Amino acid sequence: MSNSFALIIEDDSDAATIFSEALQAAGFETEIIRSGDTALARLAVTTPDVVVLDLHLPHVPGPDILRHIRADARLTETRVIVATAHAHTAESIRREADLVLLKPISFSQLRDLAAILDPDRPTAS
Amino acid sequence: MNMTNVMKLIRQLLNVPSIDPNDQRRAQLLNILLLGIAALTLLMLLATTIMNISGGLVEPESTLLYLGCLAQLCGIIIIFAINRYGSSRLASSLFLLLLTTVLAFSDEPQEVADGRTLFAFAIPVLMASVLLRPHASFAAAGLVSLLIAAIGLSVQIVPNVFAMVVFFAIALVSWLSARSLEHALEDLRTINRELDQRVEQRTRELAEALSRNQAILAGIADGVIVFDNDGKAIVANPAITGLLERHADEIIGYDVETLMGAGIDADDQAAVAALLRNTETRYPSVKFERDGKTLSMSAAPVCVAPEEMIGTVAVFRDFTREAEIDRMKSAFVSMASHELRTPLNAILGYADMLQEGVYGPLPDKQHEVVARIIANAGELLNLATNLLDQAQIEAGTLTLNVTPFTLADLIDGVQGVMSVLAQAKGLELISHIADDVPTTLFGDPQRLHQILINLVGNAIKFTKEGTVHVDAYRPDADHWTLEVSDTGCGIPAEAQPHIFEPFQQVDSSPNREHTGAGLGLSIVRQLTTLMGSEITLTSEVGHGSTFTIVLPLVPTQEKFS
Repeated sequence: MSNSFALIIEDDSDAATIFSEALQAAGFETEIIRSGDTALARLAVTTPDVVVLDLHLPHVPGPDILRHIRADARLTETRVIVATAHAHTAESIRREADLVLLKPISFSQLRDLAAILDPDRPTAS
Repeated sequence: MNMTNVMKLIRQLLNVPSIDPNDQRRAQLLNILLLGIAALTLLMLLATTIMNISGGLVEPESTLLYLGCLAQLCGIIIIFAINRYGSSRLASSLFLLLLTTVLAFSDEPQEVADGRTLFAFAIPVLMASVLLRPHASFAAAGLVSLLIAAIGLSVQIVPNVFAMVVFFAIALVSWLSARSLEHALEDLRTINRELDQRVEQRTRELAEALSRNQAILAGIADGVIVFDNDGKAIVANPAITGLLERHADEIIGYDVETLMGAGIDADDQAAVAALLRNTETRYPSVKFERDGKTLSMSAAPVCVAPEEMIGTVAVFRDFTREAEIDRMKSAFVSMASHELRTPLNAILGYADMLQEGVYGPLPDKQHEVVARIIANAGELLNLATNLLDQAQIEAGTLTLNVTPFTLADLIDGVQGVMSVLAQAKGLELISHIADDVPTTLFGDPQRLHQILINLVGNAIKFTKEGTVHVDAYRPDADHWTLEVSDTGCGIPAEAQPHIFEPFQQVDSSPNREHTGAGLGLSIVRQLTTLMGSEITLTSEVGHGSTFTIVLPLVPTQEKFS
């Protein structure tokens, strides 16, 4: 069977690597996207189980991408983890996101949380 | 010609300029006498003329009277001239001689020598002491005695020795009184002179002090306005005119509201006015924006006596440049700490991955090193966060993010992070929530977490052995309390008032045992202030410390119903 798929939308390469490793450790297949416009293009053709979304992105801001996901009927099952350094902006999108994590986000924290969101998670655990 | 001019003319006629004030007085006295006699002589001339016309007089009596009067007038004028332009002493002597002569021939020789006219000679004796010198009365008495003796002998009369003795007695009395008068006048003149000197000196000193104070006030670079008790400006220095862009005469007499004008925020205007009304505040200074400038105003009462306040002195300073630098500093710190946090987060993330064995299990030693990396990077991250918070607090941009939260989660979170540090030092971290504290509270959990991390971090840092307690309880119906206590070294009483100030350390010596920027407690206090609360400390050296935060208890239902 195929693994669950996670799209990591984050412009900082180090943060993206750490998020990617955490989700892989949680059992996801991952793909890293560095800018807002590429993210919208990719979301048009894929249906990720989980999106890790940075709010501060080049070209298209994170909140717009979040609204786009919520508006798309095809992506209703997609869980969105918002990762931001700004508590203030985090507050404004709290209702639309499934999880809001304030940076710094530790590897183990994200790994454990993502495991809960995994639709393929073994129910026995 | 009016009355004052006549008086002035008479005064000029009477006055005899002289260096010696005694001579001047005597000469003036002589002039008064001469004037009086001249007036009498003129009256006599008038009377003679009237009687002559009415036929009351016969020749040669009238002619003799005319001649006598004219001679008398001539004598008066001559003596006056000598008194005025020559020697006043000569004039007085001449006058006395003439008077004595007139007296000697004014009656029958018998009467003059030993009769009714005899004691008329007391007049020149008295006058001599006043018009010449006090002791001149003796000379006059001697002269008069000789004269009456001569007149008496010329008509075979034994000179009246008793009268002569009386003359000398009069001379003695006259001498004594004239002398004491002169002494009294002299004393008076000395007192006057000293008084004049003192007045002159004081006036000079006052003028100097005034001009010195004026110069000091003018030299102050800050703007200074003194307001009276009615709030009206009574003194202003030149610097204030530039600061308020008002001319000096547009300041005096105006109140502070008018002076500040429309270029100032209403709240600031109120703060300025309030400070001027009551300067007895802890920080008698306000900062405000006015017409694009940042100004500060500090105020102090002006008292002439301990209880007598005559006004308020306000000092205005231009802080525009400092405020600009402050803003730049805050922006820099904010930017720098943000830029610091990004790589630090990456370091922590990678280290976490290594520790979690993402790239294969680590040997014990490497595991230990990675733990040290995480601990140190964590400390650095905390410092960067504190610097950013401090910058935000200073810039006034730090706001609270108030939501309902679960207290147990908050405390568990703190316990989770800090118990590792506590265990590393062999300390016990014990937390307890009292039963009467509601499960869900209302507040900013992120900032409360930060507060607890700072307090517990400090407690662990300064405790060598024992326990660190985190307690939550309700002191009363409307509040709940967070308390962090330790069994550490304690804080000396003299350091306690300062530990909440930024960049303060209990021990700030270079070789101090504990490190840190000294920002943690300052931020904790400012956060608790933002939360409408305050933090208190009870501590004793060697007996640990307890930090207590009492927070308002806002039932979540109320806010969200």
